[in-house]
Amino acid sequence: MSFREKIHWVAFLSLILGFGWYFMSYPWAVANTRGGMLTAVWMLIPTTIIFLVPMVAGTVWFTIRTPKEANLKEDEREKTIHLKGTHAAYYPLVLGIWANIFALINGLSYGWSVNILMATLVLAELIRVGSQLYLYRRGY
Amino acid sequence: MAQAPFTNDIKTLRFLAGEMTQADLGDKVGVTRQTIAAIEQGKYSPSLEVAFRIAHVFGKPLEDVFRWQAD
Repeated sequence: MSFREKIHWVAFLSLILGFGWYFMSYPWAVANTRGGMLTAVWMLIPTTIIFLVPMVAGTVWFTIRTPKEANLKEDEREKTIHLKGTHAAYYPLVLGIWANIFALINGLSYGWSVNILMATLVLAELIRVGSQLYLYRRGY
Repeated sequence: MAQAPFTNDIKTLRFLAGEMTQADLGDKVGVTRQTIAAIEQGKYSPSLEVAFRIAHVFGKPLEDVFRWQAD
């Protein structure tokens, strides 16, 4: 497994850990109030910490273990894998934006809007990193 | 996934070149070991530039390394 693939696994699991905690802990009963929005904003601090700590630790760990690989430039196959992953993530992003527009038109407040946007971003990231991991495993 | 419509003799050529490793070849060509492995297995079609670089490492013309196999 290449260095970049390992880092992708770390990112994938960190995303699930950080935002999994967020969506499981969020008080959905107050989502449609101003307090719901403020709670979402406040919860981003621990979420970011939960996401970043394993991400940074994993990157440092694998860099120390394989410093040569860590310094390698992305080659043409890896660049294509990254482009394909980013392309795949475009679709959930568009769907999420439409869902948000629909929610705002139908009178849902900022709390829901923030959560829909966050879920959109997380889903897009999971699809981006997940599809890149799949392509790494498949060879291309 | 669909295999590339050509085969290659990279594995044999590496062996004949003093049992060169995939990592060594990758270093000489400027790609990762995993990319060389994917090319060898026909899972990834390299760019023309990388194909020429691989042939150049072995001192062979391109058609001695890659052979068209479709039809």
